[in-house]
Amino acid sequence: MKVLIIEDEPALRANIQEYLERQGYVCELAADYKQAIDKVNEFDYDCVVADISLPLGSGLDVVKELKLLESRAGIIIISAKDSLEDKLSGLELGADDYLTKPFHLSELNARVNAILRRKNFDGNTTINFSEITIKPASKTVLVHNKSITLTGKEYQLLLYFIANQHRVVTKSALAGHLWGDEYDQAGSYDFIYTHIKNLRKKMLEAGGEDYIKTVYGTGYRFG
Amino acid sequence: MKLLTKTTVYFLLIMLPVFAAGAFYLYTKFNKEIKHETDEELVNDKLQWMRYLDTASVNNPIFSISTPEFNLQPTEKAAQSKHKLKGINIYQEPENTYAPFRQLSQVITLHNNNYELVLRKSLIEKDDLIKNVVFVMLAAFAGLFLFVLLINWLISKSVWKPFYQSLGKIQRLQLNKMEATVFDHTVTHEFNQLNAALNNMTTRIHNDYTSIKELTEDAAHEMQTPLAIAQSKLELLLQDDTLSEAQLQSILISYDELQRLSKLNHNLLLLAKIENQQYPVTEQPNLCAVIEKYLLLFEELIREKDLIIYKEMTDHAPWPLHPALADIMVSNLLGNAIKYNYPNGRIDIRVNANTFSIANTSQLPEIPADILFQRFKKQNTGYTNSNGLGLAIVKKIADSYRLQLHYSFKNGEHVITVTPGL
Repeated sequence: MKVLIIEDEPALRANIQEYLERQGYVCELAADYKQAIDKVNEFDYDCVVADISLPLGSGLDVVKELKLLESRAGIIIISAKDSLEDKLSGLELGADDYLTKPFHLSELNARVNAILRRKNFDGNTTINFSEITIKPASKTVLVHNKSITLTGKEYQLLLYFIANQHRVVTKSALAGHLWGDEYDQAGSYDFIYTHIKNLRKKMLEAGGEDYIKTVYGTGYRFG
Repeated sequence: MKLLTKTTVYFLLIMLPVFAAGAFYLYTKFNKEIKHETDEELVNDKLQWMRYLDTASVNNPIFSISTPEFNLQPTEKAAQSKHKLKGINIYQEPENTYAPFRQLSQVITLHNNNYELVLRKSLIEKDDLIKNVVFVMLAAFAGLFLFVLLINWLISKSVWKPFYQSLGKIQRLQLNKMEATVFDHTVTHEFNQLNAALNNMTTRIHNDYTSIKELTEDAAHEMQTPLAIAQSKLELLLQDDTLSEAQLQSILISYDELQRLSKLNHNLLLLAKIENQQYPVTEQPNLCAVIEKYLLLFEELIREKDLIIYKEMTDHAPWPLHPALADIMVSNLLGNAIKYNYPNGRIDIRVNANTFSIANTSQLPEIPADILFQRFKKQNTGYTNSNGLGLAIVKKIADSYRLQLHYSFKNGEHVITVTPGL
């Protein structure tokens, strides 16, 4: 899977690249509008992660160019601007997702993952991790081919963990993923523990292995 | 008082003494003229009488005639070559008043005898004169008054029209729509000056407003990029297996604090945006639907604390708010009601088109209403996840979109009520 990262801040670009490459993606980089246009014209990508404010142009114009080229690439816009208009115009132009800076790398990764799944297989695929099989189309989860019933939040957690397998995922990233902007309304992250406990229990009961490791004090690691 | 009414009143007040002075002048002038005319008549009468007496006196050596108007009496006084004229008052029996008369007197010589000749003529009564003059003046004044009213009405209709137009525009002026307001050219110099000044002012205010707005946004946005870099760097660092637990702990704390900072930044920016009215009211979202959405989102949190939710909602409650703001308002108020509740507590939600109230039980005592909605005034200890801006944002939404926000504390429950303003 090839991902193009269009971001003018070298440090952020490198961080995104490092995280995504560790999850098995091949990353290419563009530091400004011109480079981005050249790259999208020259190569095919599965996913494009584009910052809006770029030197020499706008990330939104890169989205336009991709649509002009009839590219199949999934597009995620990352922007420092949390403005509704930018978000709407980005999505109207054909971007698949919009993420406001600062974001959790694990969140970006999960979104890239979700978009690629949708784009490449129109959602009709299964996600496999050892004995766990997930069918996103019907939102069913099988452990050893035996169906288990998960709540909406538990299902989301499992997908997030599998997308970020082998990585430490912080509680705040999990909370942000499950509750969006409102996670700070919760007061504490304790409730995440309840969801994880239930998820772990259900998978163990179905004969699965315990993949969710608590990394003391920092968060969780799957696999 | 309207400017025109004021100038009219001043004008009339000034006209009053002018008319009074005019009346006085007219009165004295008439008085003098009448006296003069009467005197001329008296002199004429005297000449007629003299001529008559000269011819008629042959057989009557001594005359003695006495009437109020004509008096001829023998006298010892020396003859006078010139007559004397003066004004006198004579008692009038039927009216029981004194009436003014002009009197001519001269000692004349007839057939070597000296006589005193006195001729009198009644003057028009002063009272009548004053009455007439005052009447004429009042009539003129009333005419003037009506005329002034008519002229003022016409003036305010035409001459002052551009002024009222400009005034209306100023009254309707909105900060974020200022560039669309243009004060047109008129035919009046003063109004042109006023409109030019207003145009100048609105342009300047608009420019200042835009630049402040841009500065706030730019500053907030520029801050997000370094935050994103630092945060992602720390997230990568957390993946390092070689680090000790204590080191990972420190990284996590920095990571969480950076998030708090960016959330704070985000909320301050939101406050500025609401204040700048950057969320226009284009639709009326159903508040009940918004509440249901957030009840679903906070489902686990509610279950965690075993909270009992009482709802009293109409099917449809359209509120004139930008959908994003309706979301923020509901999420902040409902979030607080959950966050500051105790286990097995309750939340009462009441919504219709005219009220949105949310009441919750809490360990917290009554909060002084004046500091409740202030920024960074935290009532609670032990809730580290609060940035002290939630209610300040709700307050700002209320202020900027004319909603009434009311807090009360009843039977151990904190009640916040929002109602659309008039």
